[in-house]
Amino acid sequence: MTRSSTGAVVGGVCAGLAVRLGVRELWVRIIVSVSVLFFGIGLFVYMSAWLLVPRWGEDRSVAQRLIGARRESHIILWALLVALIALLALGDFAKHWTGAASWPVLLAVVALVAVWFGASRDERSHLQDVVNATPILGASSARGWRALVWRLVPGILLLILGLTTLQKLGGISAGAFHAVVGAGALALGAAILLAPWWLDIVRDLSRERRERVRVEERAKLVAHVHDSVLQTLTLIEKAATSPADVVRLARAQERELRQWLFAPEHVAQREDASGTLAQQLRGIESDVECEYGVTVELVVVGDCPGDARIAALTAATREAAINAAKWAHVARISIYGEVETTNVSVFVRDTGVGFDPDHVADDRHGINQSIIERMASHGGRAVIRSAPGDGTEVQLSMSLSGVPA
Amino acid sequence: MSQPRVFLVDDHELIRSGIRTEISSHVDIVGEADEVDAAIELILEREPDVVLLDVHMPDGGGLAVLCAVAPCAPDVRFLALSVSDAADDVISVVRAGARGYVTKNILGTDLVDAIYRVHDGDVVFSPRLAGFVLDAFSETSTGPSLSSIDPDLDQLTPRERQVLRLIARGYIYRDVARELDISIKTVESHVSSVLRKLQLSTRHQLTNWASERRLN
Repeated sequence: MTRSSTGAVVGGVCAGLAVRLGVRELWVRIIVSVSVLFFGIGLFVYMSAWLLVPRWGEDRSVAQRLIGARRESHIILWALLVALIALLALGDFAKHWTGAASWPVLLAVVALVAVWFGASRDERSHLQDVVNATPILGASSARGWRALVWRLVPGILLLILGLTTLQKLGGISAGAFHAVVGAGALALGAAILLAPWWLDIVRDLSRERRERVRVEERAKLVAHVHDSVLQTLTLIEKAATSPADVVRLARAQERELRQWLFAPEHVAQREDASGTLAQQLRGIESDVECEYGVTVELVVVGDCPGDARIAALTAATREAAINAAKWAHVARISIYGEVETTNVSVFVRDTGVGFDPDHVADDRHGINQSIIERMASHGGRAVIRSAPGDGTEVQLSMSLSGVPA
Repeated sequence: MSQPRVFLVDDHELIRSGIRTEISSHVDIVGEADEVDAAIELILEREPDVVLLDVHMPDGGGLAVLCAVAPCAPDVRFLALSVSDAADDVISVVRAGARGYVTKNILGTDLVDAIYRVHDGDVVFSPRLAGFVLDAFSETSTGPSLSSIDPDLDQLTPRERQVLRLIARGYIYRDVARELDISIKTVESHVSSVLRKLQLSTRHQLTNWASERRLN
């Protein structure tokens, strides 16, 4: 039989035994644990096996290794001596406290010391991990032994004080005072002993939460980049033969990404037709760029909330921009919006072919109905300046004072 | 006229090579840098005529380069180049001494034109920069205006406002001159004077303004 090195919880005895007997580890563990309750038999057996049975992959047991080393075996002998003296001196008290198990407990402590000094380097690092993972010992050993002593001594003293005080309750001096002091000392002792462990758990939890938030943020970013940038890149690859499509796609993606990066609040409000003037103009910019493949240079100075008049103004702007994109035969048009204290103006300009405003063909209703009349019906004004070969500028202005029409 | 000696500062290799391809036949590119420290060192060493400066870079961006180089080499002129939409960043760079601002999607020929302009001592106002400046001087702008933070700031004259508005509307200098019935030289002097007004007020107040606007 060997002690297990991979399935070990503490010493690997139970796991090794389970393999040897061909039964489930869990049953071995339960039987050993229960037998500890009968005068510490389980503990005694366990520690003996730990000392005498070699670890898997090692040729000598802990005991064999100890016998080979003089210095270590001396330490064990001293430890045994100290334990015996302690047992005899504290006999009554110890029995009172832990009952019949006190002998096995102290012998087990000595055995643990022996195991520690006799263990191979590999097993020792495993034990260090076990110690670090236990509630009381672990958290403190990570912070140094001095901290452990500072915490263990008052903690255990308070626990003993609490226990003995509570025990007196049953005797002659029963009373509320003892109950309160006992319970208080018990709670305080437990708190001191367990505080670092508990703090570690809390710290782990908050670290985990932060980690989760970061992961979620990243997932959101990945989703956005995937939905927008990656998709567009794929589309661009497919459209490689058509420069116009590539430009349109790239422009649209650039604008969307830019909005997402620099003005996230506008993204949420873009769909809203009642957005501010600047938001509505941005909507026109992107729509015209997408649909007609021209570049729209939009500049907005100031801003104002949308209402019926602003809606008429932006509708006229859209019409003018679409006209420019369709008829001017240029790659770039400019839209400039400015909000002053009493007045809002928008200018839509291109440097394209132009036309004679006095001789607009009848089939081009856009200018008359959609721009001039729409502005006029809301108390605004539209002026169209154009000449063949000299570009076109549509100047729209709307007064902010007075009652909206 | 000899070609202007141009230095490129941008942390993206793709952008640098794109710009190089577009302008290399018209200007003399004397060097490039992809980070602030290297840029400062190389610019001071080679003293180019015009530096094309990316506004957004790690370690302080174009502003850091400008602030380090401008006092030591007053003859080096800067043209800010950016994809940024953030008014404050652009205005900061212009106030720190850049002679103009153009966006990176500018056409190659327009960029060459802008470099020559800056080389000649003129100012390059893209429509977007004109909008930013009008906003900064405006009383009705969304954030606190530059003038309310900086009492020393000279207000724009009505004529300067007119010029800026036309530029924001997409007029090039020649069209502005024709529209206002003035000479191109006069347009240029108006624009230069706007730039001077921006650059005269102190940097301390500028930072205040930028941070307050960012809070809004």
